[in-house]
Amino acid sequence: MKSITDIRNDLDSNKITSKELFDESRKMAIDSQKEYNPFVTIMDNYEEISTGSILSGIPYALKDNISTKGILTTASSNILSNYVPVYDATIYKKLKEAGALLIGKTVLDELAMGGTGTTGHTGIVRNPWDRTRQIGGSSAGSAAAVALGIVPFAIGSDTGDSIRKPAAYGGVVGFKPTYGRISRYGLFAFASSLDHLGVFTRNVRDAAIVTNIVKGQDSHDMTSLPDDNLDYVSTLDNSVKGKKLFYIKEALDNNNNDPELNKIIENFNEVKKKCESLGMTVSEVSISRELLLALYPSYMAISCAEATSNDSNLTGIHFGVRGEGKTPDEIIRDARTKGFSELIKRRFIIGSYILQRENQEKLFLNAYRVRRLIVDKMNELFKDYDGLIMPAASGIAPKFEDKSDKLSDKYLILDNHMVIGNFGGYPSITIPSGFVNSMPIGINITGMTKKDDVVLNIANMLESTMEYKNQIAKEMK
Amino acid sequence: MDKETLKVLANKLMFTMNENEYDTLQEEFDTILKQMDLIGKIKDIDTVEPLIYTIPVNVSMREDNVCEELDLDDILVNSGDTLYNQVKVPKVVE
Repeated sequence: MKSITDIRNDLDSNKITSKELFDESRKMAIDSQKEYNPFVTIMDNYEEISTGSILSGIPYALKDNISTKGILTTASSNILSNYVPVYDATIYKKLKEAGALLIGKTVLDELAMGGTGTTGHTGIVRNPWDRTRQIGGSSAGSAAAVALGIVPFAIGSDTGDSIRKPAAYGGVVGFKPTYGRISRYGLFAFASSLDHLGVFTRNVRDAAIVTNIVKGQDSHDMTSLPDDNLDYVSTLDNSVKGKKLFYIKEALDNNNNDPELNKIIENFNEVKKKCESLGMTVSEVSISRELLLALYPSYMAISCAEATSNDSNLTGIHFGVRGEGKTPDEIIRDARTKGFSELIKRRFIIGSYILQRENQEKLFLNAYRVRRLIVDKMNELFKDYDGLIMPAASGIAPKFEDKSDKLSDKYLILDNHMVIGNFGGYPSITIPSGFVNSMPIGINITGMTKKDDVVLNIANMLESTMEYKNQIAKEMK
Repeated sequence: MDKETLKVLANKLMFTMNENEYDTLQEEFDTILKQMDLIGKIKDIDTVEPLIYTIPVNVSMREDNVCEELDLDDILVNSGDTLYNQVKVPKVVE
């Protein structure tokens, strides 16, 4: 499947019809299921709505935690395995009005909690570059569907790095705009203060095209931002000469001389040179190691606590799979016991522990205090710099059996620095930057809130210096 | 973290776990609490104002327009048991 712009040209010159595109995309989706499992639901019926929008007649996929009226939406959880929404999410409504063709709803880590793509109720999602590896998560199926070339774009959600990490592992572009730029109405809430919607594509221009269509203030989401009438495509090719980028010194310390991390850093150094060749500067900035080490635990505290509250509506009584019992209490307990996987229960217990009165000051509020400190620091840096540039991860997509040292600097800082984008609501994009051991890796660029145009512009120009635009995973037959 | 505390929390959350799952959770809590300790190592952290929402939210009231309501049949189709257009649950008061 080509880029959005190329498909548009093909449609407009009658080289292909939208029905043929739908059929081709649908067939690829069905064929991919056995080996990669990207989809919970694949649509049966083609419905043409010609609109004049650039997305009219273009196939896409939607993460299965986004409400679609009349279409099964499970959040990849057993407790919602029969749930059919009664209203459309704003993002889905906008894409429908633009005439984009929904091909399917994609697998996620259950309730969007997790970063492995292994906890969905319909099974694990495999990396299209190497089936023995994870694609990452939680937007696992959306990343895989784009990496496999089934669709030119797919919608995901991002609470910690759930678009930007799988984009890196899948060799595609993953963009989450500023918090509130895209209405969250109809997105199943995970951690409301951190949740963003965003897009996977295979080039930066397509990410800007889709964002143009789905952004905007929404009366159903009081945290959504005014549109500002910005056109993110028109500024993509602006010169970036004189733009100033920085990276965090402490995140790139490789004290253990990890060979894979060495290759990631080598790639990062090459990217820095490409930035400089475009006239940008890339400076090293130091941030307190103590603060950086506290980011991931603070993310866990905030996200688990907010999730515990948000998901308390999953009782199986008014919707979802109903439990058995002689009283409403027994019915709810049975539904939640059978409906949640072990990992989700563990996350909820962590959240509940953090919310206990005796822990609120030390854990819950301190996590939000760390959020203040990092956001203040970043806002201060963004007065002098146009963007933060970093490797998206410390390594390539992990094997399913891989385990990481969750107390190491590598895990706590370099593997989880992208939560900064959620803490501050900053626009943040991952683009492919090369290969290590035959697996794709990515670079992440994060900018000041509401400067989505600057982030996309820098990413687009950087992409033009590399050869990974529009790549499709090698394994797909 | 003792297992009894974890069971109390699970009970509050209205689900149960088996003994093996509690063992895994106990191990996970050891790591989580060590990670959480990193937050407390930041000097004077308790003097910082917590940041809940990063972007100021301008709460504006919606226009008071008549709008489409959700269809009752659509809503009830998701419920496991219904009676007289309502969600049915076992009798609570005998």
